[in-house]
Amino acid sequence: MQQGGGSETEVTWEDQQNINKFGRLNNRFHELEDEIKIAKESNDNLEDASNELILTDEEVVRFQIGEVFAHVPKDEVESRIEQMKEVTSQKLEKLEEEKESVLAQMAELKKILYAKFNDSINLEED
Amino acid sequence: MASSSSTSGSGSGSGSALTERRGIPGAQFVEDVQTYLTQSGLDVGSALAFLQERLQQYKVVEMKLLAQQRDLQAKIPDIEKCLDVVATLQAKKGTGEELITDFEVSEGIYSRARIEETDSVCLWLGANVMLEYSLEEATGLLQKNLDNARASLEVLIADLQFLRDQVTITQVTIARVYNWDVHQRRIQQAAAPTAQE
Repeated sequence: MQQGGGSETEVTWEDQQNINKFGRLNNRFHELEDEIKIAKESNDNLEDASNELILTDEEVVRFQIGEVFAHVPKDEVESRIEQMKEVTSQKLEKLEEEKESVLAQMAELKKILYAKFNDSINLEED
Repeated sequence: MASSSSTSGSGSGSGSALTERRGIPGAQFVEDVQTYLTQSGLDVGSALAFLQERLQQYKVVEMKLLAQQRDLQAKIPDIEKCLDVVATLQAKKGTGEELITDFEVSEGIYSRARIEETDSVCLWLGANVMLEYSLEEATGLLQKNLDNARASLEVLIADLQFLRDQVTITQVTIARVYNWDVHQRRIQQAAAPTAQE
């Protein structure tokens, strides 16, 4: 946080709590960005896998379960992948929603804190 | 697990602040810098040094907690994978089919295994111990481990949030004490305009 030029603006407990909350939200925002990136990659991989499945003419596919590759009939693999895609896209949706909410809360807090502290506080990404 | 919040008893009267959580000391919120310095009997330099040291201690604890968090976050998907395998074995049980899998013998080298219908699996418990469990028991044990890991992770995340709040409070206090000092010096210089240094 920038140090102001010796200004006299008092910091109340409520201000401190707002600053703390902003810090927490900012951290959560970065975590969410990482999680969203991973979920998107996972989604893309599943998409690629299911496309490959359509192209292949083998009846038995090696599907990774845990650390091993089990020989699974193509139909079962298809439904498993569909299910995994469902789960991942729902997770992605939830993460995006949370991200929107966090950004909105951060914008609110920025308004409040800048109104009180003006130049004495810096809430931007370094 | 829920620490009870205690209203701060010391002079600076911070609202309802937790004075500590699981061994992490809470940062005292300073209502008024002047009062804080008078009460603690410290001059600005010592107060700043004390706060900086507190900040360092917090950083050390944060590193430790982050490492624990990374471990747990790696452990959870592992347990989920194990549950997946046990579930697959269980699904195969009624059918009379064998499960054919390719597994890694060594890095880059795979071999084929034929797993016949089985009622039990062996679980690695750590410390060079492996026990045989029935499929149901194995599922139960793994699920319990997974739930414990997830619960520990939640507590850990709450600890980290508490810690980060204390770090923020301490940083703000440092800035305010510093600003107060600058402000005081300005007032003194303005009050003694003839005493040029």
